[in-house]
Amino acid sequence: MVGKGQKMIRVTLNVNGRDYVVEVKPHWTLLHVLRDQLGLTGVKYGCGTGECGACTVLIDGKPMTSCLVLAASADGRKIVTIEGIADKGKLHPIQEAFIEAGAIQCGYCTPGMILTAKALLEKNPNPTEEEVRRAIDGNLCRCTGYVKIVKAILEAAKKMKA
Amino acid sequence: MPLFRPKEYFRVATVGEAVSLLKRFGGAAAILAGGTDLLVAKPPHVEYIVDISRLPLNYIKKGARGVRIGALATLNDIAASPELREEPYDVIARSTWDMGTPLTKNFATIGGNICNAAPSADMPPSLIALDAEARIIGPRGKRRVFLEDFFIGPKKSVLKRGELLAEIFVPRAPANTKAVFLKKGRTSEDIAQVNVAVRLTVDDGLCKAARIVLGAVAPTPIRAKAAERMLEGKGLKEISQIMVDVARKAAEETKPISDVRAPAEYRRSVAEVLTKRALLNLMERFGGA
Ligand SMILES: Cc1cc2nc3c(=O)[nH]c(=O)nc-3n(C[C@H](O)[C@H](O)[C@H](O)COP(=O)(O)OP(=O)(O)OC[C@H]3O[C@@H](n4cnc5c(N)ncnc54)[C@H](O)[C@@H]3O)c2cc1C
Ligand code: FES
Ligand code: FES
Repeated sequence: MVGKGQKMIRVTLNVNGRDYVVEVKPHWTLLHVLRDQLGLTGVKYGCGTGECGACTVLIDGKPMTSCLVLAASADGRKIVTIEGIADKGKLHPIQEAFIEAGAIQCGYCTPGMILTAKALLEKNPNPTEEEVRRAIDGNLCRCTGYVKIVKAILEAAKKMKA
Repeated sequence: MPLFRPKEYFRVATVGEAVSLLKRFGGAAAILAGGTDLLVAKPPHVEYIVDISRLPLNYIKKGARGVRIGALATLNDIAASPELREEPYDVIARSTWDMGTPLTKNFATIGGNICNAAPSADMPPSLIALDAEARIIGPRGKRRVFLEDFFIGPKKSVLKRGELLAEIFVPRAPANTKAVFLKKGRTSEDIAQVNVAVRLTVDDGLCKAARIVLGAVAPTPIRAKAAERMLEGKGLKEISQIMVDVARKAAEETKPISDVRAPAEYRRSVAEVLTKRALLNLMERFGGA
């Protein structure tokens, strides 16, 4: 029978600074565990095949598509989701910039987009428009047409330097 | 429909451990490196996952004899590596540019791209053009195979039960060697409809060695050897004059299929165009055009 006789794996996921010990099945993705075991529904499921970026999280500081990462394989890694970037209730400057620029319409792509932007700005605090566009190449947005997203990220860069 | 429901997951700490699990489980086991192919394919026959992602095989090192790239080097590591800036190794970094997205390239590995053995894979052509060798570890120790001989069909390589790819070795190229990689896909992130790597080594104004390697136009990446022979021994001027014929010959050597991505005739004609553009690019860089 499908699913029967699968051996569970105990893993420790460090998510947004806190350790969670969870039992996972061998085929469970990190996306599945974050959403369905830990209730972090800011992480979205779009395609499940690495193409849309809705499931983006930071793993050890780098943006990756959590739909293609096995939860078992993420054992011991430092994971950041959109729930973890505000500081004691105060929005992260990138979140603020997205709101101010009107870079959010339905919002489905937003968590992934913001995490990708965060990783970019940490590596490169002064990106050109071209570098921003290249960085978000793997995050699809079906609503905005990207112009306001790019603007928000460039604005956020300025805010973060100030 | 059967689903991907492996019974057990193993994360190995040593290559030896990986080899013994792979030997024990044979075809029921799947290696997990980055997982960007495996977790899209989700093959239902897989019962055991052998996660090699923490093995110390993520490196890119240049030595006197050549460049060694660990199987777990990620595509973004390769793109950014200072060891791969210099000609002709820059073609390896260049091959990653249009592969997937910046998000998948943070964990997709070179070993996974090679071992997945897709005829359209973007890393093999430039590596084959540089005469790279696959360094394999298995139950009976280590062995080496030219990457050119590594592939035996779509999704099939020479890896035997218990074996894994540990490293790619790119021998030091002779002086005056330049290479180029070109890819045509529907969008730049998409899987290649055709890709090509061309490498030329020039000495005293004469072409000493040529490689033309085409992907997605046959069951494995192929060398267009008849076209290569047309180039060898020729002067740069002459090459500029016969470039069109060389590209046509290379296209004749392909055996493309029609599928969802492109019809065979289209692949063959794109193979010709890309080969021509690649030669043109090299002629300009060698100052012979
Ligand atoms: C959105 C998206 C876009 C993509 N675009 C491209 C593209 O443009 N061009 C392209 O070529 N590919 C593309 N790919 C495919 C994939 O990302 C690459 O092939 C990648 O390099 C695979 O590496 P991995 O580490 O993720 O492989 P995995 O999925 O971990 O492994 C792939 C296969 O190789 C085996 N394997 C892995 N490592 C080893 C090893 N060391 N020894 C033996 N066997 C091993 C695994 O068992 C598996 O069968 C894309 C994938 C996605 C999701
Ligand atoms: S859900 Fe992961 S990339 Fe689309
Ligand atoms: S705001 Fe709707 S997908 Fe981006």
